[in-house]
Amino acid sequence: MTTLVRPPEKAASKKEQRRRGVTERQRPLWLLTPGGVLMILVVLIPLAVALWISLIDLDQYSLRRWVEAPFIGLDNFVESFSSGLLNSIWISVSFAVLSTIATIPIGIAAALVTQNKYKGRALVRAVFLIPYVLPSFVVATVWRTMLQPDGVVNAWLSKVGIEGGLWLTGPRSYWALILVEIWAAWPFIYLMALAALQSVDNEVHEASAVDGAPWWPKLRRVILPYLRGPVLLACLLATLNHINNFTLPFVLFGAPAPEDVNVMPMLVYVTSFQSLRFGLSAAMAVLSLVLIAIPLFVYLRAVRLDVHDEGGRR
Amino acid sequence: MNSRKLTALAGVTALALAAAACGGGDEGGEGGDGKTLNVLIAANTQYPDEFAAWQKDISTKFRTATGAEVKFETFASANDELTKIQTSVVSGSGPDVYAVGTTFTPTAYSTGAFVKLGDAEWNKIGGKDKFNPATLGISGPDEQNQVGIPWVSRPFVMAYNTDMLKAAGIDKPATTWDELGQQAKQMTKGDEYGLAIAYKDNFDPWKFVWGMSVQAGNPLVDGKTAKLQDPTVQKAYDTYFGWLTRDKVVDPAAVGWTNPQAVAAFAKGKTGYFMLTTPTAINSLEQGAVKGKWKFALLPTVPPGATSRPANGVEAASILSGDNLLVADYSKNKDLAFEYVKLVTDQETQLDYYKKFGNLPANAAALQTLASDEQLAPVTEAAKKSVATPFTGAWGDIQLALTNVAVQSLPDLGKGSISTQQIDSRIADAQKSAQTALDRAK
Repeated sequence: MTTLVRPPEKAASKKEQRRRGVTERQRPLWLLTPGGVLMILVVLIPLAVALWISLIDLDQYSLRRWVEAPFIGLDNFVESFSSGLLNSIWISVSFAVLSTIATIPIGIAAALVTQNKYKGRALVRAVFLIPYVLPSFVVATVWRTMLQPDGVVNAWLSKVGIEGGLWLTGPRSYWALILVEIWAAWPFIYLMALAALQSVDNEVHEASAVDGAPWWPKLRRVILPYLRGPVLLACLLATLNHINNFTLPFVLFGAPAPEDVNVMPMLVYVTSFQSLRFGLSAAMAVLSLVLIAIPLFVYLRAVRLDVHDEGGRR
Repeated sequence: MNSRKLTALAGVTALALAAAACGGGDEGGEGGDGKTLNVLIAANTQYPDEFAAWQKDISTKFRTATGAEVKFETFASANDELTKIQTSVVSGSGPDVYAVGTTFTPTAYSTGAFVKLGDAEWNKIGGKDKFNPATLGISGPDEQNQVGIPWVSRPFVMAYNTDMLKAAGIDKPATTWDELGQQAKQMTKGDEYGLAIAYKDNFDPWKFVWGMSVQAGNPLVDGKTAKLQDPTVQKAYDTYFGWLTRDKVVDPAAVGWTNPQAVAAFAKGKTGYFMLTTPTAINSLEQGAVKGKWKFALLPTVPPGATSRPANGVEAASILSGDNLLVADYSKNKDLAFEYVKLVTDQETQLDYYKKFGNLPANAAALQTLASDEQLAPVTEAAKKSVATPFTGAWGDIQLALTNVAVQSLPDLGKGSISTQQIDSRIADAQKSAQTALDRAK
């Protein structure tokens, strides 16, 4: 009997599969057209133009008839390497990674202290957001004033017996850049961590309370795992933001920048707008895109920032 | 093709058309009397209200004279300006008249996007003779290929504290760099310093080096050859850094100063000389403790280490600084553009502009009327003794390379000493990038 009943079931499920398949094929994909066209206009075409410019000798002399600018193949890319691009990428990446690493504990700690209700929590939360809402230009201008050789930072340092010296030039400028970036960027990690904390179910807190878990094991084994996904995502976004930050080094140090803080955006800026080598700067931009995309891809694969994974884990 | 595909295609076409419509549109191309002239001009952040009033006033005068409207478009920084020039040059549409800085004129010239001025064009604006001859020095590579029409001058001078000079027994400001160093030493004691210099400024340092080298007979560029690796340049940097490291006549904090900070330091009344300034600083100085106790003077014109200028040395009191007006080659309103240029370079308009904004007239007659003003006499003299920086598209890079020597030397200056070898190796780097830029120049 059973054998007689089964075949129609099988047939039905196959039919269902086929029907689902048909539906998938008939999805109104054309509805994506406006988005697709916008993406082509806003992302792909400029990217293609940048690629093309990186292959031609475009400068102030050939700008007027840029379509006729001589095609020089990979010459711009070769010249990029001798123009200090690798050094700039190294400075940019190390600066970005260090800034991110330093902001994680600050951001998470800040999120934890504003998690539980207490009097004045709203005010503390608002104060924590100040560095984040200030425009980068303002942050850089204020810090530039504070870090002057005769500025307040050195005045404070001398009170505790430390000789300040130069912060905006020489090797220390690198650490000054990181310091200011940390000051301006930690609230982003804080926001992401806070959002994750808010999504921890009450049952989890109750369960650990029932089990009598002390605060540290509870934090380390119960709460922090919840933060993993959002904080890793925040790290990725923050690092990319650090790498792309142009305003901060430009306002803090000016152009030409001291060698120690000649970050990638500064190098591309000077090449483009002071040396007017548009072809060369496009090649630099393309190269940095590729060089940064590779570790980025590896990171994405390694941490699996996948919504479904996170959902499944919960 | 089914209906969905057709609909999609129609959608794409509509979007593409809309995008094309946004990008197109040639301003200022209307016919008849209702023409509009577009002028690109630097925004004036110091006197924004007066600047708006000036624009309105010029618009009215221009309408009365020509029946056409003038529309001003402002840019905030040199970058904005460059971006505007780039997009206009590439698209062949945009402002009809550009006001550009003198040192940027060679770069603008190298794009080939501006009208070359022949006799007919000069006559339209009232002739070449109406301008202070020195200001024409950076209008083009030679007399036959001029694109820039002088509009305003901002020559560089130095300011000195009359009380401090008097107290140190100095009866007149220095005319040679060595004398300047000597006087600065005389005035340095306690918290008083001889010189205020903006070492961290991104525009000041190269002007010292260029000036001293030109006075010593080295124009830095000889045809297609960069001459930065030269004893005159080495001596110039050595003198410039030496004031801080060797002579100690500059506040050590000056390592972090930009030009406005040096102005502020001088305005406190505890510095003998403020080395590189223009009449636009008058307001700041008059609001400080130095009020009524300062005067302008010509920058020294005898190179360091000498008591008189060598035979091939040039009496360069300042770089030729200010703004030029350029008429775009693609403009459909060239006649109107020259009408506008004529209007803003006339004596009356130029004097009015000076009174409002402190920029000196490029118009010779207007400049002459200011020569009797005791405070301004040194500045008008500097305007006449200004010398143009080399007219090459590579100048932007050379200027950058010269500045970079100073920028990378700041940590050493902060430590209080810099060796000749360090200066030489940085000059060698600068020579390399300057030569590369010149090799590319067309």
